[in-house]
Amino acid sequence: MIQLFHVTKEYPGDGPALQDVTLEIDKGEFVFLTGPSGAGKSTLLKLIFCDEPATSGQLLLFGKNVAKIRPAAVPFVRRNIGVVFQDFKLLSQRTVVENVALPLEVRGLPDREIKRRVKALLRSVGLEHRGDKFPPSLSGGEQQRVAVARALAADPALLLADEPTGNLDPDRTLEVMDLLHGANARGTTVVVATHDRSLLERYKRRVVALDHGRLVSDGDSVRRVSAS
Amino acid sequence: MTILRPLYFTRRAFDAMLRGPYVAFVGTATIFVAILATGLLAAALGGAERILQGWAGEVQISVYLAPGADLEAAARAARALAPGRPVEAVPAATALRRLADVLGEEARVLEGVGPGALPDAVEVRAPGISLAGARQLAGALRGIPGAAEVDYGNAWLEKLEAFVARAKIAAVVLFSALAVATAVLVSNTLRLAVFARRDEIEIMKLVGATDGFVTAPFLIEGVLQGLLGAGLAVLALLGLHALLVPRLKAAVALAGGLALRDTLPPPLLVGLLAGGGLVGLLGSALSVARTLRRMHGA
Repeated sequence: MIQLFHVTKEYPGDGPALQDVTLEIDKGEFVFLTGPSGAGKSTLLKLIFCDEPATSGQLLLFGKNVAKIRPAAVPFVRRNIGVVFQDFKLLSQRTVVENVALPLEVRGLPDREIKRRVKALLRSVGLEHRGDKFPPSLSGGEQQRVAVARALAADPALLLADEPTGNLDPDRTLEVMDLLHGANARGTTVVVATHDRSLLERYKRRVVALDHGRLVSDGDSVRRVSAS
Repeated sequence: MTILRPLYFTRRAFDAMLRGPYVAFVGTATIFVAILATGLLAAALGGAERILQGWAGEVQISVYLAPGADLEAAARAARALAPGRPVEAVPAATALRRLADVLGEEARVLEGVGPGALPDAVEVRAPGISLAGARQLAGALRGIPGAAEVDYGNAWLEKLEAFVARAKIAAVVLFSALAVATAVLVSNTLRLAVFARRDEIEIMKLVGATDGFVTAPFLIEGVLQGLLGAGLAVLALLGLHALLVPRLKAAVALAGGLALRDTLPPPLLVGLLAGGGLVGLLGSALSVARTLRRMHGA
């Protein structure tokens, strides 16, 4: 599903954010992307999300070379990707229902279908009773559950989460992680960037570790990361 | 579903205006002022033109003959040149008597003045003729046998006509300048709206919105603000017409009065409405395009 071949990303005036990263993520995988701040986790997610181009190397997404995707086609690629951010990125002036409905409105679904799917999504994240609230009136955990619901609204093939639990307490962290695992269990490929080691220890999943833009380890156990 | 999209975008445009009424108000007010100024200018020009036509309709062309010229021959020639128009041969004695009638009690100043003091003349009445038509007819009448001088007594109208012609050019220039200035102002105003909603745009792009999807509500918002501003300006113009024209009754009486169709004809009102909508559309298109370009470049 995602293939990177010797991918490097440099920003003018800064050192390389990613250096010679080669990585493959298969369909249906759950992958933790870890490393200290500045390791290049967010940059890697941005490249996968077609938000920025790689400076060199090749990135294939859903079998397509990202560098060859026309700018006008990028939104249609993104419709197969759900994204969750540490700061939620919810529209504060829109209700929970309107926020979750946004990806479905973008796809032009009929109102009735949108209502049905949003209702089901909010039920799945335990927020069916909060639909008419505005995000600022919700707790951090609730806001992130709304963000997860929005990311999953259009049944994306790929879910990218950038420090999704960074602003949450331990209990809320587990709630959100359970939602991401639930999505993975239903077939969605999930890539979670985190520097929370407790998550890596709790969920025994594939861990890809970055440091100073380089891929330093890639394995099934958190121990490999510790050893590197 | 596709048919419903314009409704969806319109609904979002209305939502956005309700959520950010200040920005919507500023945009609408800007267009209102520009359209009102343009409309006032156009209405004033329309009124001046109407007055011009009204005064020109009273035109009487006098051909003064040289001493010894054949008055009847000149009258015949004038009739040939102005078919269907009343042509009168006025001998010098008749002219003097008419002058005395006009002077009334002051006619004593004419004591001792003989008929030879005034020339024979041919008078052509040309009701309803345009100023240009009067000028053309006067030119032709200069060629009749014995004609010494032709007067159609409307030199000041010519000046007014020249002024109106120049004012029309000025109006076109002014309207163009106003349209550009308003588009820039509206663009900057809507830029505030776009800036205030850049998070929304960013999030929409994150969930796969195309540029068209992001742009459409802003364009509709611009058109709505344009139409609203222009609509209010049209109402204000109609109100001003109703208020001012009765007060100008005496001044415009000779022109047969000023009707609404003279100052604010329906095509002008429709044009102002369309102009407002267009300026709003252009202003919002500029601001959204600029924002999206920056987001793509970022």
